[in-house]
Amino acid sequence: MSGAKQGSQVGQAPPPAAVQVSETLRRELEAFLFLEARLADESRYAEWEALVTDDMHYWVPRGPADHDPAERLAYINDNRARLATRIRQLSTGHRWAQTPPSPMRRILGNIEVLEARDEAGPYTVAANFVLFEVAAQSTGELRTWPGRATYRLRRSDGRLRMAQKIVELVTSQLPQSSMAFLL
Amino acid sequence: MRYDYAALVQDGRVHGSLYVDPGVFHEEMERIFRRGWVFVGHESELPAPGDWVTRRVGLQPYLLTRDLDGGLHLLANRCAHRGTALCREERGNARHFQCIFHGWTFGLDGTLLGVTYPGGLERSKEALALDRAGQIDTYRGFIFANPAGGAGPLAEHLGPGGRYLIDRMCNLAPSGRIRLGPNWIGQRVDSNWKLWPESDNDGYHLNFLHVSLFRANRESQYNETMLAGETGHSSKAVDHGRGHFELDLKDSYPHELAWCNATPERLPDYRRAMVAAHGEARAHQLLLDGPPHGMIFPNLFLGEINVAMVEPIAPGVCAQYHTAMQLEGAGEAVNRRLLRLSEAAMGPASFLLADDAAAAERQQYGFGASRADLSDGGAAHTWVDLSRGQRREQVAADGVRVSLLSDETTNRGFWRHYRSVMEAGA
Ligand code: FES
Ligand SMILES: [Fe+2]
Repeated sequence: MSGAKQGSQVGQAPPPAAVQVSETLRRELEAFLFLEARLADESRYAEWEALVTDDMHYWVPRGPADHDPAERLAYINDNRARLATRIRQLSTGHRWAQTPPSPMRRILGNIEVLEARDEAGPYTVAANFVLFEVAAQSTGELRTWPGRATYRLRRSDGRLRMAQKIVELVTSQLPQSSMAFLL
Repeated sequence: MRYDYAALVQDGRVHGSLYVDPGVFHEEMERIFRRGWVFVGHESELPAPGDWVTRRVGLQPYLLTRDLDGGLHLLANRCAHRGTALCREERGNARHFQCIFHGWTFGLDGTLLGVTYPGGLERSKEALALDRAGQIDTYRGFIFANPAGGAGPLAEHLGPGGRYLIDRMCNLAPSGRIRLGPNWIGQRVDSNWKLWPESDNDGYHLNFLHVSLFRANRESQYNETMLAGETGHSSKAVDHGRGHFELDLKDSYPHELAWCNATPERLPDYRRAMVAAHGEARAHQLLLDGPPHGMIFPNLFLGEINVAMVEPIAPGVCAQYHTAMQLEGAGEAVNRRLLRLSEAAMGPASFLLADDAAAAERQQYGFGASRADLSDGGAAHTWVDLSRGQRREQVAADGVRVSLLSDETTNRGFWRHYRSVMEAGA
């Protein structure tokens, strides 16, 4: 695998306060988040991958996302090429850490639009989540993954796409169980 | 109960109870992690006087400190008054440690410096110092400690094999020194800790457990090892003795820097620095051979570009922490690259170790509640078979055993040493 190089979108602290957007736009952004969550929950890898941009960055840091990801080790720090490898690996049917895939459901809440350059985007949206997972392929036990996700979304061909997803786990300083699914 | 380790650990098989029995686990914490040498950290984690990091050795919490004269100490992270943990952060820099409960203060070497209202103190300050590892020593920046003391010199524990593995990693730095990456990443696994020294150094599973990565990514540094059949490749399983062993991949690399999936053209500054430090011929050999892939008993894994340590938590729970090696004097390009390679290979979401964790958790599930009781002869299904390649392994005059990569020579090396340590401790 080649060394992943990161775009300029990372490492910027999101603005502290939510911004006002129209009710229509809010609904559209939330619907995107819910769709992304459902496809991830159901391990629908190809459909999930169709939601991301060509420069997608997928980052699960250890500790808060307050640094340049290039400088430290993360749980996940995928540029687009590495994310494609991740999806290809999951799609082989032999990714034993997810074979069979974990049954999962996640609840999103506290959804805030943090940035909307204008109604056409791009947007930064954040949400708290709790993901419930049964490690069906290994211990068979329930695992709970609480955290906060920050999404950078923009339009391409009029449709919303995800350009970055940052997942800050509440437990991120602790050793983590396998997270081979889409977080 | 008394465990008969000679019966539980045989030459080509070990009993499943060794992975689940709480009594065995507690004897391991005493005989391996308290009375033996254990890897506890690296000097690059404590560059300045007053630097400290928290660690667990066996089940005990410790502070690894550097005092103002540069000396290293492994101190119990447990106030000598009533046991309160002194530090709950991961690392820091201090002149002394103060307990939150009654305010006693301790020096960087564990000395009791002060107590609140000293008039009532009934014992001597010397008797109330922090518990301290009896032995601490380093080899090329790697810090080892023996909490009980009395384990003999570190050099004897490492032996030629252990030193060779560390040398092979350090020699890849133009300065001869490595640093650890900026942080550790922890992976929790619901399995016994011993499955990690086993799985990290098992050459048999690559083409099966990890097949998904090789299907998803056809350009990896493991190509020769993966694509050739069992006898068609040149990597080897090597048991150096004393519980140190490796998968020696060096002969599988087709060109310099293949071990970090690069070429000399892509990392010219690094190559130049290596030639300046070692001369052309030796630099070429080092860059071709790459880092080791091996284990130093009981808990240090030098996993190619990764440095990892295994931490037992309970009979059925452990963690493996990893970071990337960083090569002093090699330049930013190669060191950043090593961070990204480490993220790909190691850790709970990585392309490799996530699958190893699934296998380890399924093994643990399979062991069920095996008991270390052989009075019924030990039911057949409770044994773990590790006999693969036993008869084709070559034993050299110095006792080093070499066999095919896919032979369980490394695993037998772990258990042979384990048995001698556990029996000697009885
Ligand atoms: S327990 Fe630490 S000062 Fe009392
Ligand atoms: Fe593996």
